[in-house]
Amino acid sequence: MKTLSHLFILVVVTLLLSGTALAHKVNVFAYVEAGKVYTESYFPDGSPVEGGKVLVYDSQNNLLLEGVTDKKGLFNFAVPKVDDLTIVIEATMGHKNSFKLKKAELEAGR
Amino acid sequence: MRTVNSILSVLVATAVLLAASPSLAHFGTITPSDDIVTQNDPKTLNLQIKFIHPMELHYMEMVKPEQFGVVHDDKKTDLLNSLQATKGKSADQKEKFTFWTTDYKIRRPGDYTFYVEPTPYWEPAEDLFIVHYTKVCVNALGLEKGWDHPVGLETEIVPMTRPYGLWTGNLFTGQVLLKGKPVPFAEVEIEYLNESPGNISLVIPPADPYVTQVVKADANGVFSYAMPRAGWWGFAALNEADWKLKHDGKEKGVEIGAVYWVHTQDMK
Repeated sequence: MKTLSHLFILVVVTLLLSGTALAHKVNVFAYVEAGKVYTESYFPDGSPVEGGKVLVYDSQNNLLLEGVTDKKGLFNFAVPKVDDLTIVIEATMGHKNSFKLKKAELEAGR
Repeated sequence: MRTVNSILSVLVATAVLLAASPSLAHFGTITPSDDIVTQNDPKTLNLQIKFIHPMELHYMEMVKPEQFGVVHDDKKTDLLNSLQATKGKSADQKEKFTFWTTDYKIRRPGDYTFYVEPTPYWEPAEDLFIVHYTKVCVNALGLEKGWDHPVGLETEIVPMTRPYGLWTGNLFTGQVLLKGKPVPFAEVEIEYLNESPGNISLVIPPADPYVTQVVKADANGVFSYAMPRAGWWGFAALNEADWKLKHDGKEKGVEIGAVYWVHTQDMK
């Protein structure tokens, strides 16, 4: 029983820590151009994450805005704040990932 | 540690030279500073382009390549003018030899296949010219797309194993193409890059056949090899060109090589 619960903890810890590819791992990438933030959400093989929820947080972890990806996995928005932003993609089945967009990139892309 | 490595490399080279002599395998190389670029990694890669004996660590003089570029999202970008000449040598070589280096900034997710077509190298020992069309693939930001597409070189290896995220011991499978067509029973030479970053101790081959591994492709030009050590592994499929080049006014044969580099890491 003990071994089993240890195994369970190991699995949970591994899942929490792993930033690397699980079979249905989702990814989000973002860049800034002309005052707009463009996000792209995709699976490793390149197929888009359709209808995924995008959440945008500032450096204090305040939720700035949220949206939904289109058929191509895209979601765009005007720069909400010049700050270090964390962009989170939430797909179905609890698949989740994030991308850090640095303040310097937001400044450069204004 | 450096000194130990230097002494070792002299030993390796001496042992290899004593055992071997004529049949040293030449390899074009492209080694990037990283083969999997994640969100937290530096986005600027350093790439080194050399013409060497990977196991023996010996450098050869390399003039500026004829082509150097990258394919990303099926688009080719010419990077030839970004190349800078620099010099290097193994511990037991007296003089330094030219190789080429550049920095490249990754801007988007996906696979980046870097390729080089060197200027033909005259090899008096073999009485022929050598041209190694060399490739390496770098993955960026979780998008695993593009690695299995040919670049369209005169000859090239197209990976059938995804060429990154490989463990030590993994099998690497590739297909040899010449003018876009598979080469039946192509001979493929394989060497370990003894100067791989993180190589804990130089490999000292006990006899000549250990230096260069040789496998033959099947009727479809498909070959496989299991890589026994962490670091960079080079695969070179050699063919004779159907064209000649002049050396001192005489027509000479040209060995064209399709070279591919992959990186392995120990499971721990």
